[in-house]
Amino acid sequence: MIPLGLAISVAIFLIAPILIIVPMSFSTSISFAFPPPAYWLGYYRAYFSNPEWLIPTANSFIVAFSTMLVTMLLVLPACFAFVRNRFAGKGLVNQLFLLPLIVPQVVSALGYYGFLSRLRIVGTHLGLIVAHTALAMPVSFLVICAALKGYDRNLERAAMSAGAGPLRTFLWVTLPVLRPGILVAALFAFLQSFNEAVVAIFISGRDAATLPKKMFESIRLESDPIIAVVSSLLTGAVLLGVVIPLLFRRKTGRAT
Amino acid sequence: MAPVYLRLRDIVKSYDGRTNAVDGIGIDIERGEFITFLGPSGSGKTTTLMMLAGFEEPNSGSIELDGHNLTRRKPYERNIGVVFQNYALFPHMTAARNVAFPLRMRHFPKDEIASRVDRVLALVGLARFAERHPRELSGGQQQRVALARALVFEPDLLLLDEPLGALDKNLREQMQVEIKRIHREVGITTIYVTHDQTEAMTMSDRVAVFSKGRLEQVAPPLEIYNRPASRFVGEFIGDSNFFEARADPSRPGWIEVAGIGAIRISIGAAPLPASGELDLLVRPERIRMVGTGPAEDLNMVQMTVETIVNYGDSVLAIGTAGGRPLRMRVAGAPPAGLREGAQVTVGWAPQDAYAVVRS
Repeated sequence: MIPLGLAISVAIFLIAPILIIVPMSFSTSISFAFPPPAYWLGYYRAYFSNPEWLIPTANSFIVAFSTMLVTMLLVLPACFAFVRNRFAGKGLVNQLFLLPLIVPQVVSALGYYGFLSRLRIVGTHLGLIVAHTALAMPVSFLVICAALKGYDRNLERAAMSAGAGPLRTFLWVTLPVLRPGILVAALFAFLQSFNEAVVAIFISGRDAATLPKKMFESIRLESDPIIAVVSSLLTGAVLLGVVIPLLFRRKTGRAT
Repeated sequence: MAPVYLRLRDIVKSYDGRTNAVDGIGIDIERGEFITFLGPSGSGKTTTLMMLAGFEEPNSGSIELDGHNLTRRKPYERNIGVVFQNYALFPHMTAARNVAFPLRMRHFPKDEIASRVDRVLALVGLARFAERHPRELSGGQQQRVALARALVFEPDLLLLDEPLGALDKNLREQMQVEIKRIHREVGITTIYVTHDQTEAMTMSDRVAVFSKGRLEQVAPPLEIYNRPASRFVGEFIGDSNFFEARADPSRPGWIEVAGIGAIRISIGAAPLPASGELDLLVRPERIRMVGTGPAEDLNMVQMTVETIVNYGDSVLAIGTAGGRPLRMRVAGAPPAGLREGAQVTVGWAPQDAYAVVRS
């Protein structure tokens, strides 16, 4: 009984912020009063009509999507090379790939600020995409390498003896079988970038400001409940991002 | 003699530059033949198969199929069907699409693909399972789909790499019969790799016995069983008793067996060297208790029975004779007098012993 009670308490503790924020987003009050005095959609209307919020939202999507693409384009070939070859220094390469996970975020942010300002891309979408790609690669690398290691190479041999050359084998057999792992890695990269706050605050500047950065400024400068709207929408998006792969896994079953 | 269809000549393959996994394999295979590559793990049989399929390249030697030199050709440019031990079915495709895959790669027209797929799925008995995915099929069914996929494009050669290893005994026996039936119906030249001698014995036109990268013997199953080329082959196939012996040049037809004495062998047996070290093979089922069976001029020895194993349909008596280990197999129920600890007189006919030159 006690472990169960403990588990439930922890779950409530984790969900509690959501349980406060979501009702607050529908509140009529002009401050962070909880529980809300009354409910309306006014703040949702305000969010969807205010470019001060909509532009950072669009920026977040643009940067996250681009980060996802670039990360996948880099990580896929890297994993193939890493898993299927022997070479000296393999362990070192592995450590290097995982480094962004280990370095504290603030240290990374400072580093990116210095490095990207020398390239004159601080405050641009490109600069943010570069930084976010570096931060997203470790997890995507791990996910795809794991998928690749569990992949049966006889499938490729079967395809080749059936008459498929290397390209057709890759397109018709390898890629479809790896698809679940690739999708998970891509989703990780997207969410990682979308939610990323620290580096974005340092380097996204005015033009490429992302949603987390705007939220940080908003809570420092205003006490507008519109921030609860953004939080609720973000939470909803992340939930979707977690649930969709699960549904997809169910559909393809034990695909690998 | 039928023309040679597939010829391997002096194939050598080494993975590490020091030891040869395949050490000079040469064999001629006839069109339509069912030949088994038999041997323990590491004997080179699978490596040879991989080179036939094109997944590995030999360091030296040649492979010729129907007059064409295949040795360096890519696997997707050979017209060879391969069945793998773990089936290797494409998990994201239905059985029908798996089977259709080789035809699509060869740009067959759509309706021909459909009719061929139907035909070959019917051949392997899986017509009703065409729309199932591999994960919805049992092991035996998956293996049949793999076989269908390998046959659908009517290849020149069919290679099977220990295809039944993952199946249970009854299913394996069932599939052995199936594969033989399909082979007879289709008539394709087939190379079957296995370490299971029962499969080799029951399914093959000829058996090629591999050991340490070399071929010990290539012959029909019964010849391999009754007249093995070496002690290794005799011990690998079936149960065996081997005795160290020496040919007696002064007494043709007789050999001297260590610990037992003079043994008569059939004069009509394969020519023996006049002198030299021999290994004498006597199959356990050819030995019987003296007094049972027809009266005959048997080679007789005293056997001390140590252990009796009753299989239900036969009895195996394990013991010693003349200080040497001896095994005797008797069909049916244990005969009276055959008990653990007993001393019995056993014997075998001269033609049931086979002498091999010691290598």
